[in-house]
Amino acid sequence: MISDDPDGELVRRVGEGDVQAAEALVARKLPRMTALAHRLLGDRTEAEDVVQELFLRVWKSAAAWRPGAAKFDTWMHRVAFNLCTDRLRRRREVALPETWDAPDPQPLADAAISAEQQSDAVGRALAELAPRQREAIVLTYYQELPNREVAALMGIGVDALESLLARGRRALKARLEETDG
Amino acid sequence: MAEMDLTRFEVLVAAYGATPNRWPEEERAAAEAFARADPRAAALLAEADSIDALLFAHRVAEPSRTLRAMVIEAAPRKRRLTGRARLWWTGIGIALAGASGMLAGSAATAALEPISANVLMYSHDDVPALDYSAEENAL
Repeated sequence: MISDDPDGELVRRVGEGDVQAAEALVARKLPRMTALAHRLLGDRTEAEDVVQELFLRVWKSAAAWRPGAAKFDTWMHRVAFNLCTDRLRRRREVALPETWDAPDPQPLADAAISAEQQSDAVGRALAELAPRQREAIVLTYYQELPNREVAALMGIGVDALESLLARGRRALKARLEETDG
Repeated sequence: MAEMDLTRFEVLVAAYGATPNRWPEEERAAAEAFARADPRAAALLAEADSIDALLFAHRVAEPSRTLRAMVIEAAPRKRRLTGRARLWWTGIGIALAGASGMLAGSAATAALEPISANVLMYSHDDVPALDYSAEENAL
């Protein structure tokens, strides 16, 4: 087990059937992975389905987990990311529009706007980004993964990632100003 | 330290925002130095900061208790034997223990035999040879 993987010891214990370790791993990872799936899919129910599938794979893999180049958190991100992109691909195949939970845009800049309204507006703007821009932003800003890890997960170079991030940020701002006006 | 100019600084801030912690580690020191030294950096950082603030206004709900419970329920756990299964395994355990005891006994005897022979040989060597001739002469 590599010593610099903060999850290594916990995963080893999970593999031995230690339920307390499983609970600790869930406490550590469930909110983070649910947020990732929610932001990529824009749908809480689907996000929870993905997270259940993700943890089934974690439970199956824990006993055999041998750290290589990747940390366990990176491996979890890869599995979650692939599960989400598979679902998004299937959605596109049946030509459903990608929408956030709430369909109607709301004005953003009212002085009295609540944090919840602002969060909803940003959520809708995120959902309307091009999928690759959204993936880059979610992995970099919300999941706080290093740029090289994000690029590797997305199968692109760092230059391409930076381009997606910059375009995504500009598009997000433009969308929010549009709904604001 | 990595080289930094206005062009690269613009790309960096446009992609990673205004918070240095998010800038690539290998360029962070150079970018921070550039931000302190070049007056054009401030406007770029202010623009990026306004987009950062929008991004971080987004919140997602915590996972539900039901989800948490379902995930933990599916976790692997050590097997705990109950009732009949425990009796079965106890019986099998006793039988195996008996069999292994017999095997261990045979193995131990086999293993000890040459050692015992050696010990006897050495003991004979250590003890001076008995001279029966005096007794025979006395008779």
